[in-house]
Amino acid sequence: MTLDIQIQDGVVAASATTTVKLSGSLDTVTAPELERHLAPLLAKQGGVKELVFDLAQLKFISSAGLRVFASARKQLKERGGQASFIHLQPQIREVFDIIKALPGVAVFQDIDELDRYLAARQRSHTEK
Amino acid sequence: MKLELHATPEEVMRAVDTLRDFARAQCVSEKTVFDLALALEECASNIINHAFKRDASQKFSVTFDCNGSEMFVELRDSGPCFDPTRVECKAPANEDDPPGGWGIQLVHYYMDALQYTRDGNENVLRLTKRLTRHAGTT
Repeated sequence: MTLDIQIQDGVVAASATTTVKLSGSLDTVTAPELERHLAPLLAKQGGVKELVFDLAQLKFISSAGLRVFASARKQLKERGGQASFIHLQPQIREVFDIIKALPGVAVFQDIDELDRYLAARQRSHTEK
Repeated sequence: MKLELHATPEEVMRAVDTLRDFARAQCVSEKTVFDLALALEECASNIINHAFKRDASQKFSVTFDCNGSEMFVELRDSGPCFDPTRVECKAPANEDDPPGGWGIQLVHYYMDALQYTRDGNENVLRLTKRLTRHAGTT
């Protein structure tokens, strides 16, 4: 099984957001491929702040893939950004849950739920 | 069924794909296929990354077997003596650091039994999974 990676820029809740759609298998062979695709997005100069991983078509994940997510999340957090996850299939969600790989991670059912979350977060920042 | 594999990620996934085909031929559920594939990926990745340090010239073997109600996956490698069943899952120093032992934690969760033995100069890890089958099959 291979991994297909599609990267799209967009706007969610008035925030510039980059969505990474993953299809197939995120495993010991394909995790380095994802790392290479994410590198420019996570660069300190010109990188993004809001990264959304759409996992609707992700069929398989192992700890190699989870480590890529954990690394991306850490780098985004260091610059005040965030990694969010939408459309987790049950078997993928179970892997996340078992090892609590990403404590406090932002996981949403769909783009609408993410939109409401980001809008609320923006209001919170504006009011401070 | 027995596979002889070089210590590379591509060979690990070749073994995983072969196990998927083998499991589906036993009419087990797709959830069980996922569980077996994940456990094999984690154990075989440990062998190539830790026992053989990505030395592609090294070889290890994987054997699949099924007795009708359970499936067995056995991995053999000639790396240094290492019992993965005794690995502790270390908590991360802070929430952004990955903890150690994620892979073996997943294997413990998805398999019903893990048995390690040292056989001569080989590590032998045997995974056991009780089978659930597609509805309508016995």
